[in-house]
Amino acid sequence: MGLGAALVAILPLIGVVATALGDGQADIALSDLSRYALTSVALSAQVAVLTAVLGVTAAWLVVGHDFPGRRWLSWALALPLAAPAFALAYGYADLFDAAGDLRIWMRGTLGVDMPFEMRSLGGAGLILSLAFYPYVYLAMRAALLNQSSQAIEAARMLGASPARAFFQVALPMARPALAAGVALAVMETLADYGAVQFLGVQTLTTGVVRAWFVFGSVEAAARIALPLLAFAAVLMWIERMGRSGADHDSGRGRWRPLTLQPLPPVKAALATGFCLMLVGLGLVLPLGWMAHTMIDITPEWPRLIAAARHSVGLAVIAALVTVALAALLALGSTRHPLAARIASLGYATPGAVMAIGLLIPAAVLWRLVPGSVGGFGMGIALLIYAYAARLMAAAFEPIEAGLTRVTPSVVQASRMLGRSETGTAWAIQLPLARGALFTAALVVFVDVMKELPATLMLRPFNVDTLAVMADNYARDERLANAGWPTLLLVLLALPAVLWLTRKISTSRPGEP
Amino acid sequence: MTKPFASVRALAGAFALGLLVAACGQPESETKTADTAPPADAGVVNLYTARHYDSDLRLYERFTELTGIRVNRIEGNPDTLIARMQSEGEASPADVFVAADAGALWRVQDAGLFQPANSTMLQEAIPANLREPGGHWYGFSRRARIVAYDAAKVRPEEVDTYEELASPRFRGKLCVRSSDSVYNLSLVGALIEVWGEAKTRAWVEGIVANMARQPEGGDRDQIRAVGAGICEVAITNSYYYIRLASGEDAGDREITERVKLAFPSLDGRGAHVNISGGGVAANAPNFDNAVKLLEFLASPEAQSLVAEYNNEYPASPSVTVPAPVSAYAPFEAHPMSVARYGPRQAAAQAMMSQAGWR
Repeated sequence: MGLGAALVAILPLIGVVATALGDGQADIALSDLSRYALTSVALSAQVAVLTAVLGVTAAWLVVGHDFPGRRWLSWALALPLAAPAFALAYGYADLFDAAGDLRIWMRGTLGVDMPFEMRSLGGAGLILSLAFYPYVYLAMRAALLNQSSQAIEAARMLGASPARAFFQVALPMARPALAAGVALAVMETLADYGAVQFLGVQTLTTGVVRAWFVFGSVEAAARIALPLLAFAAVLMWIERMGRSGADHDSGRGRWRPLTLQPLPPVKAALATGFCLMLVGLGLVLPLGWMAHTMIDITPEWPRLIAAARHSVGLAVIAALVTVALAALLALGSTRHPLAARIASLGYATPGAVMAIGLLIPAAVLWRLVPGSVGGFGMGIALLIYAYAARLMAAAFEPIEAGLTRVTPSVVQASRMLGRSETGTAWAIQLPLARGALFTAALVVFVDVMKELPATLMLRPFNVDTLAVMADNYARDERLANAGWPTLLLVLLALPAVLWLTRKISTSRPGEP
Repeated sequence: MTKPFASVRALAGAFALGLLVAACGQPESETKTADTAPPADAGVVNLYTARHYDSDLRLYERFTELTGIRVNRIEGNPDTLIARMQSEGEASPADVFVAADAGALWRVQDAGLFQPANSTMLQEAIPANLREPGGHWYGFSRRARIVAYDAAKVRPEEVDTYEELASPRFRGKLCVRSSDSVYNLSLVGALIEVWGEAKTRAWVEGIVANMARQPEGGDRDQIRAVGAGICEVAITNSYYYIRLASGEDAGDREITERVKLAFPSLDGRGAHVNISGGGVAANAPNFDNAVKLLEFLASPEAQSLVAEYNNEYPASPSVTVPAPVSAYAPFEAHPMSVARYGPRQAAAQAMMSQAGWR
């Protein structure tokens, strides 16, 4: 069963590899390709470092220290998850446009210009880091909360300074969480198309798109995609390595919350300021600016509402299906660990690459089942399948984490008492991991709301989602119009993210 | 393990909510299902369109009003739509394919996804250089790829040819978007057609040398950059400028008072124009309706609506140009067949990349 679920997720990737073996040329110079590849690596590295610094700092502040606003900031810090990266890109590129009001005012009144452009490698790195730091923050926060406070207190009693206790005890113990969080952020970076494309940063995805669209060669595009897949595989491997042998956060010891370190006023103000800045830059500023520019535009309400219904409907169904598949995969992962790893590759696959791969299973379906192409039901089914293949990793991570907290002895006891494997899963493992299942469902829900490439490619007739609408307006260079669907999308995703973060912020070991 | 039951209830509640949302979404969608895969005589036309303007919807509504034929629509960029049609094969429900670039239409034809639609109405309404000679596709509106310039620093006669844009006069003073833009590809394709490879290569190198900054943003951003003094000249499609000039944003309107539009001439024969157009899909299940939709798009009413809504020029010289486009309409357009751009696009892309045009 687990193998079946893995197969579902892996099919599009097999499609990419199969396509890459075909004939077909694109006249892209090797120097361009290596530039694209280097840009992809540089962008990933920036995002890895920046999300790690921002996410770890925020998590350590919130978990270990007391400062004004700590309680609500601890969940507000995760809210940028509700905003798609392309929304941040729209907001920042427009606000800091060289020909925008702000920069003109800066040059005219202050006599200085911004030292760097948002539409550049550095700008894209910053924007994506602001969009993706919550992955690191959430993972680190959970890990630090779940750490037994005894180790840190022991370190303190043995004379370690707070900084030393953090760097030599807390952080190493949370290493697996850090690796997982950063891996997620980097995978999202590789998979991103909308933001990077909008900012004009040319990554390997640009090469894929150029080979496919300009030179008309899907095969050449697939070949360029292969290094991206390899990169994704390496990330998966790193994440796995970081995890192995790092069992000390399982909370087997007596659980007691970390004692909050009171901060002196100045440091407390800095801590509050830092967290406020993250929420402000990750959500409030770019979306506030979009809201400001869209205020003059009267949206076409019926279209907007129809798109919102499609977005929510698709996201809910996709969440249920993906969680079911990911649970199967996680239950079987002890026996087929490799299957689980491979199935997660889809998450790091760039949207444009995934689109190439998805067309192959789609073509089989379209040709085998007459009438399925135009059919609404089949179209939706295909789209849900695409989401599941793409987001398997996002759902798998929390579910697997939840299941590993169910100690093997409990499972063994159930088996010895005569329950079958399936029975044990239903009666013991899944109920104990229900929090994790729900978390996974919300993660998928939010990601589908923000999803673009597969939706663009595979949706049936007359189905527009909010993300598709926003993308259409942005391509048509009507950024003010793009504001309405973008903001509506964020508003609809926000309750899910809120629930997710409140849930996580009250979670305790054994109840993830 | 505090309050396990609260979690269960929350979970159940969320699933119930999910089902409810799914259920609410269904009825409306179900009615659509009936329309999407009907027999060929049910009065539907299935449209794959790479144009994604709100105004196009009003156009299709008008078509339904006139003919009773309902329009099903998937929007996308041309090449994902092409890839989708190829995967769908003979099962493809697509009747009509519409794109906003002659090069994209050529790619569809090159992939064998169009079939000829030999309608006398279409051939009479659309000038010969704006349609594919075999009837595979027809242009319904035109856009010129021209120059926006800073009227305080540049004289109009300095930008009345394309060659001048690449001259040392504008070293470090030109803004243009990336070579990924299909509009730039078609422009350079047309230049190769007229000038040959050697001269066009020199031109492309001159453009790269003249760039005030690395290409970023779309055409609108280039015009605004001229307005902000970042560059003196920018290459843009006509409708982006007209949209700024007649739009709701006061700041944008103010920019177009200082930034003017010039129509450079290609070898003395007029400005480079591109088209929005469409053709009948190779496996169209509703062939007759497809032709009817094309004929509607070629009608004076539809051409005039597109010009009005999206600030493009009508394809037929006989169609009256509505405001605000009319103020920019008297210009000479190069008479080259738009069907020539597509075959040159790959060469254009390779040339631009080699010259460092990102």
